[in-house]
Amino acid sequence: MYKQARFEEPLIFELGKKGRRAHLPPKTDVPPREITIPKNMRRKEPPELPEMHEGEVFRHYLRLSQMNYSVDTGIYPLGSCTMKYNPKINEALARNEKMMYLHPYQPEETIQGILEILYKLQKYLSEMAALPYGTIQPAAGAQGEYVGLNLIRAYHHDHGDFDRTEIITPDSSHGTNPASSVMNGFSVLEIKSNSDGQVDLEALKAAVSEKTAGFMITNPNTLGIFESQITEIAKIIHDAGGLLYYDGANFNAIAGKIRPGEMGFDVLHFNLHKSFSTPHGGGGPGAAAELCSERLAPYLPVPVVEYDEDKGRYYLNYDLPKSIGKVHGYYGNVAVALRAYAYICSLGPEGLLHTSEQAVLNANYIMRKLEKIDGLVLKYNRELPRKHECVLDATPLKHDIGVGAMDIAKMLISRGVHAPTVLFPLIVHEALMVEPTENENKESLDNYAKIITEEIEKAKKDPNYAFNAPYNTSIGRVDDAWATRNLILSWKMIKQLKTENKWPPEWPEEEH
Amino acid sequence: MNNLTHFSHPYIANSEKDIEEMLAELGIKSIDELYSDIPEDIRFKGKLSLPHFESEFEVKKHVEELLNKNKSTRDYRSFLGGGVLDIYIPAAQDELLRRSEFYTAYTPYQPETSQGTLHTLFEYQSMICEILAMDTANCSMYDWASSLGEAALMTARITKKRNKFLYTAATAPNREAVLKNYTAGVKLELVKIPFDPKTGKMDTKKAIELMDENTAGIYFENPNYFGVIESDIEEVIKAAKEKGIVVVAGVDTSSLALIEAPGNYGVDIAIGDAQPIGAGPLNFGGPLAGVFAMKFDKKWTRQMPGRLVGITLTPEKGKWAFTNTLQTREQHIKRHRATSNICSNEALSAMSTAFHLALLGPEGYKENAESMYYNAHYLKDELEKAGFNTVYNSEFFNTFLLELKVPADQKDKFTKFMLDKKIYAGIPISTEDNKFYNYLITTSYLLKKKDLDDYIAALKEWRNA
Repeated sequence: MYKQARFEEPLIFELGKKGRRAHLPPKTDVPPREITIPKNMRRKEPPELPEMHEGEVFRHYLRLSQMNYSVDTGIYPLGSCTMKYNPKINEALARNEKMMYLHPYQPEETIQGILEILYKLQKYLSEMAALPYGTIQPAAGAQGEYVGLNLIRAYHHDHGDFDRTEIITPDSSHGTNPASSVMNGFSVLEIKSNSDGQVDLEALKAAVSEKTAGFMITNPNTLGIFESQITEIAKIIHDAGGLLYYDGANFNAIAGKIRPGEMGFDVLHFNLHKSFSTPHGGGGPGAAAELCSERLAPYLPVPVVEYDEDKGRYYLNYDLPKSIGKVHGYYGNVAVALRAYAYICSLGPEGLLHTSEQAVLNANYIMRKLEKIDGLVLKYNRELPRKHECVLDATPLKHDIGVGAMDIAKMLISRGVHAPTVLFPLIVHEALMVEPTENENKESLDNYAKIITEEIEKAKKDPNYAFNAPYNTSIGRVDDAWATRNLILSWKMIKQLKTENKWPPEWPEEEH
Repeated sequence: MNNLTHFSHPYIANSEKDIEEMLAELGIKSIDELYSDIPEDIRFKGKLSLPHFESEFEVKKHVEELLNKNKSTRDYRSFLGGGVLDIYIPAAQDELLRRSEFYTAYTPYQPETSQGTLHTLFEYQSMICEILAMDTANCSMYDWASSLGEAALMTARITKKRNKFLYTAATAPNREAVLKNYTAGVKLELVKIPFDPKTGKMDTKKAIELMDENTAGIYFENPNYFGVIESDIEEVIKAAKEKGIVVVAGVDTSSLALIEAPGNYGVDIAIGDAQPIGAGPLNFGGPLAGVFAMKFDKKWTRQMPGRLVGITLTPEKGKWAFTNTLQTREQHIKRHRATSNICSNEALSAMSTAFHLALLGPEGYKENAESMYYNAHYLKDELEKAGFNTVYNSEFFNTFLLELKVPADQKDKFTKFMLDKKIYAGIPISTEDNKFYNYLITTSYLLKKKDLDDYIAALKEWRNA
């Protein structure tokens, strides 16, 4: 039986004692001198940091690491997140001293190697996108979207088109799409999906106007369904004077199969931490590559990495007079980009194609198993094959016994597997969004389907079993509402509560 | 469509036999049938022009060959700063970063099975609050620059209809560029506050003059981009408070053992980068970790960008735990009404910061700051003895602007001259007439007296040549 580690690990501030040390930093041999910072700007109270010896610090965090589920622990089929294996050679390469210890403002002659890697990576990604220009400056997918919309705005403004203020996006799109649009000052028009889970062309035609700046979509979409009318969609948008943005979050389904530029897209981002295997790091750092057509290239953020053939040298080009400026302090998450570069080198064109095919095979294989489970349904046209992910709806189960997608998630993590993405996309009420990736083999998928089947059976016998899940995890089900009501966000706030005799927290009376 | 015969690869799980069985179960003959809904005319029929190396060994060799064309700050002595710092990553820290339970997880959407990430991020938030003397911090933005952009947007949200944001001209140009970008779409007007050309400090009189009922926030850096400590800002902060203007400060996180914490002199929102305190090595400028912290205010907290880890209860009496909280501000729920579009952040870099600070402790944190302070002041004093001047005559921490006046047409030659001495000379800053370059010099705690003496000797040689 699965049982996750559980240590009664206190906050690090409650460990340690004055005078213990965990590290001796290198000290300068320049003689100490009086510190002449003006009195009003001199720190009076030193910050409270832990005082422990090295072994204690290590033990504390090692124990915490053991209370954490990860891709290297087991299947992690979070839909839309592409939780594939993070190859260890990439980690080793990122720890090269000539990667780690490069200052962003070093003279160009000392950074030729890293510029070459960035230049080539962009070219390789361009090849996959069929969009020739680009940058890896965005630090994450959402910032990639933000940059893409920046480019679209800059393009329209540069063409004297100041009234294009609307971005159209389907109701199945990622939440970042409308959020990035608003950050760019656009208003958002959401259009409904049709019964096939695809963009409703009539609704789209009704939505476009002289106000249309652009259209954002991921293809395959968040239902895992390929938008087969993409050429018509592109035509409607382009005819209206808008531009097409490709949210590359789902690119793992189609690498080497279809190129977004050939579907009519003008600009896109790829998530290097999804499609190109770089680690998710408990939430980040990720990295995004932005790729665009020639007409958007003049507006790219500076600097762009270029190659001077005459001098035989790579360089950072800041001379883009129409550039949108910068979105990152330097050049983006370069050490992440290095990992993606190594990944592409390891797989090559055929390997990347196989990767997509296997991701798609796995998703369809598990979908056909899951849709047989009584209580789950495959919404939207069930005849259509899905791509890298599938979305099951637990509404029937919820209707019958009150057990919804979140309860199913909690039952699954009790069994030592990770839950799918739940309650997204919002157009499927009790969504279970499953993306196994090419990293799972047949047995792993069979086992996952078996666990879901078994857990739903248990829930049918006793719905309370579901409502009280998870079991065997480090802790039982958390009370989100309590966290929001009380907002205890730091050790400092805990210290304050202690002075008011309000810590540790009191448990509410049973309320049933 | 491509019809590849199967090949085995370490990153692909299924064998040929698995695939056959799975296809049989799906009742299809080939994987291509799963792509049958894709119109023929948009399918890519060629072969991607990409490199391929047959083995891990060859990939390693190839990437190492490329990296070997670089020279690192371990090869040369670096006097470069500007927002990122050359630091030492203790072996224990790196070992913790290699725990793949941490680095191969994602955002803790299922908190019950992700307490490791959440607990560590809560400790990161807490340590940031201790260092900045703030109450709440989010668990990271992308970098200092995006923290600035987001902070400006947040001041506009808090102050509702106000649409002007003041910032000092002594803001780092790369951060200023991001600020401009982040505020362009939503039409937040940016107004620059000049600085005193002698002291390099904010022109406080002008700052107060520029404040009006339309001003949402004011931003300054301390020390500012030129390394100058902004020690005369009490009146500015007072005036801002009176007018309901949100005070935002950008700070060097590695300086706060010596310099007063922003939370102790009236700053509402403090930002910066956690890289200098252990988020990671330089990494050619990324990943970094944007710091975003503020005084506690329930309403303001709801306007914060980024993820927050908070305390929660579990069904087991007495067992409190950690969870992502206030998720209803975030894009995956609120969509176009979210406080920010941020989804992936720099969580591992934030966790790395917690490891680093736990290892340093209060003593190590202070010793690093002192080493930098001593190095920079020794260097400045010795340079002055040798007849060089600084541009601004003000108190500083580890950075100052040296008046080298390298003629613009000699800049490359100077760079090369210093590289021959195995020195990265600093960040060149153009004079207003664009005729000369002065150099922004930062001393890390990795530099020793000999490195500083070599630097001085090199400058003397340059001057005499």
